[in-house]
Amino acid sequence: MGKGTRTRMLVAVGVVASLGLTAACGSGDADEGSEGGGDVTLEFSQWWEPELPEGSFRTLMDRFEEENPGITVELLSGPYSSTKEQVVAGAATGTISDVVGLDGAWVSDFVDQGAIADLSKTMSDAGFDDTQLASQVQIDGSTYMIPVVNFVYPMFTNDDLLAKAGVTAPPTNRTEFTDAAEAVTAAGGASGWILPLSLEAPNGIQNDVMSWVWASGGSMLDDEGKPDVTNDDVRSGVEFIKQLWDVDVIAPGAATMKEQDKVEEFTNGRVGMMIDSLAHINLIRERNPELKFSIAAIPAEDGYTSERGMPYASWGIGIAENSENKEEAWKLVEFLMSEETNAELSTMANAFPGNTESVPAFVEGDELFQTAFDIWQQGYPANEFTGLPVAEDLMRTFSEELQRTLTEGQPVDTTLSNVQEAWMQEF
Amino acid sequence: MSISSPPRPAPPPQAILGRRRPSARLVRRATPYGFLSPTIVLLVVLMLTPIVMVIGYSVLDRVVTTNESTFVGFDNYAEVLTDPVFFTAVRNTAFFAGVSVVVHFVLGLGFALLLNTKLLGARTKALFRMVYILPWLFTAAIIAVLWRLLLSPNGVVNYLLQTDVEWLANPDLALPTVTFINIWAGYPFFMVSLLAGLQGIPQDLYEAATVDGASWRQRFVHVTVPQLWPIIISMALLDFIWTTQQFALIWLTTGGGPIVATEVFTTFTYKLAFASYEFSVAAASAVIVLLLSMVLAFFYVRHQKAWD
Amino acid sequence: MTSDTLAGPARRAAGLRRPTRTKSRERRLKVGAVVALVLGALFAGLPVLWMLSSSFKSNTEIFEFPPRLITDNFSFGAYAAILTDPTKVRFFVNSYIVSLSVTLLTLLVAVLAAYAFSRYVFPLKKSLNVVIVSVQAVPPITLLIPYFGLMVTLGLYNTYLGLILTYLVFTLPYAIIMMTGYFNTLPRELDEAVKVDGGGAMTALWRILVPISVPGLVSVGIYTFMIAWNEYLFALTLTRTEDRRTVPIGISLLMGQHSFEWNEMMAMSVLGSVPVLFLFLFFQRYFMGGMTAGAVKA
Repeated sequence: MGKGTRTRMLVAVGVVASLGLTAACGSGDADEGSEGGGDVTLEFSQWWEPELPEGSFRTLMDRFEEENPGITVELLSGPYSSTKEQVVAGAATGTISDVVGLDGAWVSDFVDQGAIADLSKTMSDAGFDDTQLASQVQIDGSTYMIPVVNFVYPMFTNDDLLAKAGVTAPPTNRTEFTDAAEAVTAAGGASGWILPLSLEAPNGIQNDVMSWVWASGGSMLDDEGKPDVTNDDVRSGVEFIKQLWDVDVIAPGAATMKEQDKVEEFTNGRVGMMIDSLAHINLIRERNPELKFSIAAIPAEDGYTSERGMPYASWGIGIAENSENKEEAWKLVEFLMSEETNAELSTMANAFPGNTESVPAFVEGDELFQTAFDIWQQGYPANEFTGLPVAEDLMRTFSEELQRTLTEGQPVDTTLSNVQEAWMQEF
Repeated sequence: MSISSPPRPAPPPQAILGRRRPSARLVRRATPYGFLSPTIVLLVVLMLTPIVMVIGYSVLDRVVTTNESTFVGFDNYAEVLTDPVFFTAVRNTAFFAGVSVVVHFVLGLGFALLLNTKLLGARTKALFRMVYILPWLFTAAIIAVLWRLLLSPNGVVNYLLQTDVEWLANPDLALPTVTFINIWAGYPFFMVSLLAGLQGIPQDLYEAATVDGASWRQRFVHVTVPQLWPIIISMALLDFIWTTQQFALIWLTTGGGPIVATEVFTTFTYKLAFASYEFSVAAASAVIVLLLSMVLAFFYVRHQKAWD
Repeated sequence: MTSDTLAGPARRAAGLRRPTRTKSRERRLKVGAVVALVLGALFAGLPVLWMLSSSFKSNTEIFEFPPRLITDNFSFGAYAAILTDPTKVRFFVNSYIVSLSVTLLTLLVAVLAAYAFSRYVFPLKKSLNVVIVSVQAVPPITLLIPYFGLMVTLGLYNTYLGLILTYLVFTLPYAIIMMTGYFNTLPRELDEAVKVDGGGAMTALWRILVPISVPGLVSVGIYTFMIAWNEYLFALTLTRTEDRRTVPIGISLLMGQHSFEWNEMMAMSVLGSVPVLFLFLFFQRYFMGGMTAGAVKA
C-alpha cells in the first residue's frame, strides 16, 4: 500500500466530487422569478391543466400575458392526489408558488401554517368589487381563497336501468329513492346506488353522505360554526344510508371505493343512481355514448319543500404569503375571475362559474347542463367542510365511524357521538 | 504467508520514529476510512442531518405549521404510544412485513432454483427469467391501480374465481389481500439476489457432495443453503425494514381502511403529518419506528460478526 | 465416480433396471420443473398481461364486465398519445438519466465501502454498520420536509443532481450490505495474493475482486436501477418543472381529480418497462457467468 494508491484514490474521489459540482452548477435552474429588469414571472401551481382540453389553459395564460406585458406565467402542474402535501412542503421550505390552486378543505390549515395571504386586504388595496364573486372562503372574516369554478354534485340516474325496473322518473324524496334503488337492484345486473367511502380521499362523506343532510336543509354545524353532528338532521341522514345498506342496494366495495371508480361503474351501466360531479357529464358521454342518463336534484326528506342545499367542490385560488409579487399575482386572480374568462374556464372545465355574471357556454342548448344550472339556481351552495380545520381529516374520521356502523353494526348514535367528540378536539 | 502485511519488514513494536514508519501505519489505519469516505460524507450530509431534524421535531410542539415551537419533552411520544390506532398499526405492520418477507423468501428461492436448474435449456431459462422479474418494473402507483382493477368486485379475479368477494373492502380480507399484492410486487428482489448468490457457489462443493453420495435434497440443505445463508439473512432483514416503509402501495389501494384494517406505521404517520398536520407527533412516531429498526439492525450486525 | 457407475456393469448384467429409472426420474423432474415454471410465470405475468391488454382498450372497456382480454376498440391510441407528447417523452429521458447515473454512482461508492467492511477491521466498524442499516428505517414521509429544506439550501432543488444524490443515499445501504456479503464469500487469499506481488489495496479491489464480483454487481445494479426508476415521492417533491420530472410523476399526472386516463397510464407503464426489460436481458448473461474457481485452487 503505497502513496501511489492513495493518490489514485484521492484523485478518484476528487473526480467524482468535481463532476458533481459541475453538474450542480450546470443544472441549477432552481432560480425563481427575479429576472433582470421589470419583468415578473409568476409561478402558478395547480392540478387543472391536465384535466382541461389540451393546451387550453395555456392559451388563457398567454392571453393574460398579452394583456399584462411584463408579466409571464409559468404553469406548474402536479398530480391532484399529491397537491396538498406539496403545498405544505412548499410553504415549509419557502418554495411555494406565487399563485396556488386550492381546495376549500385545505384553507384553514394553510392559514394556520401562514402559507396563504389575506386576500381581503389585497382586494381592498386593488379596489376590487367583490360582489361579483359567487363565494369566498373566509377564516375569521378575511378571505383566503376564491372559488374560481364550482363543480356541482347533482344526482345522476341511469334511465335505462330505472325504466327496466319500472321507475319512470328520477326520485324526488328519500322514500322514492329507496324504492327505486330496490327496484333496480331486484331487476338484476346492477346496484341501485353507489357509495365511495375510501379513506385515502374521503370526500365521499362530503359529496355522497352529507349531501343528503344538506339537501334537506340540514346542517352539521351549529350557529357558531362548531360541529353538531348529533342533531336530528344528520342522524336521519345517516340512518337513511344505513337503511340503504341493510337492504343491499349499495354497490359492493364501498369501503375502499374512490370517486373515479364510482364514475366508471356508472358509465358501465352497473349502477342505477349516483351523486356525482357535473364535470363527468361529458366524460360519461364520451366513454359510453349509448348510456341514457339524466340529472336531478338530490332527493330531500319526505315532505321537505324549502330550498335544497347542493354540494359542490371548487377549484379555488390563493396567493402565497411569502410571494414577492403579490400585486401581479392578484392581477392573475382578477383575470381568472373576470366575467369573460371565468365563463370560458367554466365551459372548458364543465363547471359552474365563480363569477355571478358569467354564464358558461354549455348551458345554452344542452339539456342536462341546463337542468343542472336550474337546480343550482333554485337551491343554495352547500359545502360546510370548506374552511373547517383539518377538513379532510374530519371527513376521514366520519368515514371510519360510518364504516363501523355499516359493516360492524355500531349503533348510529354511538357513531355520531364518536364523531362529535373527535371533531370537537380540532376546534 | 501472513495476512495483510505490507511487503516491508515489520517494524519492531516500539518503533523508532523513522521518517516513513508512522506515516505507513497511519495510512494503513486510515485506509478503511478512506474507502468509506464517500459513503460517510453522503450519509452524514443527506441522511443524518434530516434524521436529526426529525428527532428535533419530535420533541417540539407544532412544528412546520407555525413558527413558534416549544420544547415539550416526550409529550409527543406519549401521544403516539397511548393512541390505540398506533398499536393496531404495529400489529398490522408486523403481519404485513412478516408474511411478506417469509413468502418473498420462499418464492424467491423457489424461482431462483427453478431458473438455475440444469434440467432446462438456457434459452428457456432466459425467457422465464424475464417473465419473473416483471412485477419489479412498475411503480407503486401503477401496481396499486392495476390490482384495484383486478380485485374490484366486478374485476378479473372475481370473474375467474366465479365469486364476488370484496377483496379490498372487506375488513377481514383487506390486510391479507394487500400483503398478497406486496408479495407479488416484491419477490423479484429476493429472486435476483439469490440467483446471483447461486452463481457464486463453487461447483466443486456440489461435486464433492455428490461424490460423498449426497442426494438432491441433502445437497440443497448442506451446500446451497449454508452458502446462501449470509445473503438470505441480509435480505430478510432488509426486506423487513423496507416492507415496514411501504407506503404508496397501501395508501393507494385502501388508504389504511376499511376502518383501520390495513393501517400500518407509514399510513398512520402520513395521516398524522399531512391530514392532522401534527408534524411533531408524526416525527415522534417516525423516531419510534427508527428505534425499533435499530434494534433489528443491531442484532443483524452481531449475527454478522459470528460469521466473520 | 458414483456408486451408480461402479455398480453399473453389475446392474446391467442383472437386468437394466437402474439406468431406466434414472432417466424416467429425470424426465419426471424435468416435467415437474416445467410445470412449476409455467405456474410461476402465470403468477408473475398475468397481471402484467392485463396491464398490456388494458393499454389497448378504451377507458370504458377497461371496466366492463365480464372482462375480456381483447376488445372491439383495440387501438394503439394510448401509445400514440404518449409518444407524440414531448413532455411525456421527456419524462422517460429524465428517468433514464437519473436511474443510470444513480446505478453507476451507487456501484462505485458501495464497492469502495464494501471493500473496507469486508477486508478491514477497524474501530467504529460495527457502529457504522448499524447506522448504515438503520438509516433506511425512517419513514420517508416524515423525512420529506426537512430533506426538502436541505435540498433547497444546498441549491439542489429541481436538479438532476439533487435526485441522483437522493436516490444514491437510499440505495447505498443495501448496495453496501450486499457487496460486503458478496466480498465476504470471496476468499481473502485472492487479494492477499496481489499484495504479496506488490500491489496496493486499490489494485486488489479493482483488478481482482470486482471482476469476479460481476454477478453481485449486476444484481445490485439492477436493484438500484429499479429503485431509482420507480420512486415517486421524492421525485415529485424535489422537482417542480416538467423538464426534470420522471415517469412515475408522469403516470400520476394522468390520475386527475375527476377522471383517470386508465389506458394511457397502462401504456406509459408498459413503455417504461420495455427498455428496462431489455436492459435486464442484456445484463443477464453476467449473472450466469459463475465464478472462476481457478484462482483459489492455485
